[in-house]
Amino acid sequence: MAENRGRLSRRLERILTMLPYVIAHPGVEVTELAAKFEAPTKELVKDLEMLWFCGLPGYGPGDLIEVSLDGDRVSVDMADYFSKTLRITPAEALALYAGGAAVSSLPGMEKAEALRRALTKLDGAFNAGAGESPGISVTLEPGSPAHLEGLQEALTSKTGVEIEYLSASKGELTERVVEPWGLIAAHGHWYLVGLDHLSGEERMFRTDRVKKVVVTDDPVEVPPDFDPDAYRGAFSGHGSSTLTIEIPPAVASWFEDYYPVTAAETLADGWRRITLIAGGERWAATLIVRLGGDVRNVEPPEMLAAARALAASIAARYE
Amino acid sequence: MTRIERLINLIIALLETTRPLSAEEINRRVAGYGHENYESFRRAFERDKDELRGMGIPIEVRKIDVLDEHSDGYIIDKDRYYLPDLDLEPDELAALRLARDAVTGGRNEADRGLLKISVDSRAAPVDDPQVAWGDDIRQPALSSIYEAQLERTPISFEYQGAAGERARRTLEPYGLVNRRGHWYVVGNDIDRSDIRAFRISRIHGKVSALEGGYDIPAGFDAQSHLSAEAYAIGDQPADAVVRFDESLAWWVEQNLASAARTGNADGGVDVTLPVGNLDALVSWVLGFGSSVEVIGPPEARAAVLRHLRPLLDGRRG
Repeated sequence: MAENRGRLSRRLERILTMLPYVIAHPGVEVTELAAKFEAPTKELVKDLEMLWFCGLPGYGPGDLIEVSLDGDRVSVDMADYFSKTLRITPAEALALYAGGAAVSSLPGMEKAEALRRALTKLDGAFNAGAGESPGISVTLEPGSPAHLEGLQEALTSKTGVEIEYLSASKGELTERVVEPWGLIAAHGHWYLVGLDHLSGEERMFRTDRVKKVVVTDDPVEVPPDFDPDAYRGAFSGHGSSTLTIEIPPAVASWFEDYYPVTAAETLADGWRRITLIAGGERWAATLIVRLGGDVRNVEPPEMLAAARALAASIAARYE
Repeated sequence: MTRIERLINLIIALLETTRPLSAEEINRRVAGYGHENYESFRRAFERDKDELRGMGIPIEVRKIDVLDEHSDGYIIDKDRYYLPDLDLEPDELAALRLARDAVTGGRNEADRGLLKISVDSRAAPVDDPQVAWGDDIRQPALSSIYEAQLERTPISFEYQGAAGERARRTLEPYGLVNRRGHWYVVGNDIDRSDIRAFRISRIHGKVSALEGGYDIPAGFDAQSHLSAEAYAIGDQPADAVVRFDESLAWWVEQNLASAARTGNADGGVDVTLPVGNLDALVSWVLGFGSSVEVIGPPEARAAVLRHLRPLLDGRRG
């Protein structure tokens, strides 16, 4: 599919996207194109010069594309078939839908209404003939939208927050001061990402585990290189310790989607041996308890001991 | 002539032709081919077709002579090649930019798609709060299925069921749903003649497109075929009562406000939840550690103990 494309098709796609604009704007400056397409002028000139040898079969004077480069100005004629751009791919549409879902499910987002209109148009263009049925529906269902408004207010005004947070690594409420950098919707939850004063590190906080948010007046500077992409696959824990477990194949198929797995191998009996980043002993214990009988050969042993202790304290309520 | 020039000439020839062109004609007439050896032409042509199809360019195979099944011809359907005019208002375009910036793993895809919609989409950075979509959209099966759905092409794929068994399934995709971090395709399961939902991450290997077409029923609501919580999905319907200790009462008020709740004298809360799958309920409850307890039904309490037993006995680990 379109995901793993090479340089050649990226270049070809840029040409096919650029041509409709050049055809509609004869004499456009190459520097303007360079700005719009974020490409060096040299490369774009090369792309355009190449078109001299392209056209309709026959390739006579009336068949070839006419490109004129006059100093910095460029015009393209005899290429009506490129006066409209190529359709966006399913992968590209999906990406826009997914991003749109994240943005529009945020309460109080001013552009949500415009976004819904835009996505409806996009869907209509794609699904001509589908009648009323939408081609794709993205429901984030991020649990409860609690605190999102307060967090968004802090993000917009670039100020800090004080939160009460049910920590997964400690299993108890903690009070912390956080400099918010962004909100990430993942695995059905919203996460606040930011600098956590308690640990002095960047951390993610699941918003449904936040009990209370107070927006402060302390100014926050989002690092210029802050990249939400860096947090992919890190939604289930953080920490420097690792946990190694063996789980059966049926469990592995979903488990490896969910957890920050750093290494995995298939064993002779089909079970998978998995190493993952553990968000503390309590976090690891909860994970092992949830897996119950579907886990063996836990390392390190302290984590297994913690899981046994947790299992015993839970079982005490049932026996 | 470079390969990229040859590809452009191929696109032009297939877009502008009024009838499908045979491979032989393409070799003879499209600049950049003209191979003496048909086999070497064929290799180059196959590679080019793959490249263009990978970009989403719809090269179609049609019979040149309806009576001759070996008379394959190639053509690009203009209606499927060109981006339809979306007539976006400025605020709609601005909102799409925000959507593009919110896609983490698929930002390149979103950016390229939006650039086709508007050449100005890269200009004017958006200064809104950083919001991001963190789930993976780059699963190959996902875009293949979406493509099949757009083309109304039935598909088949190898699917791993919840119990770990694998089977080949045949489906007419009606809709894609992302729910709680997972992508599902909902559609007509041809072998079972029923509407079914499949989790994309449980599809193994390639999704194959089958012959034929289908219609999506008007007003079809894919979401209604999926239940919200894992513990609510399943064929063991029951009402479970779950007790949250005082330390988590706030969490219940904040996140389970729509469930039936009863306060306890010690400050804790009992919540009644519709359950369809006991194992999923057990796993969910255990995630809270010892601050949450299943009160009923008795089978659910037994399921918790059964689940903990291997750890308590030390049979595992």
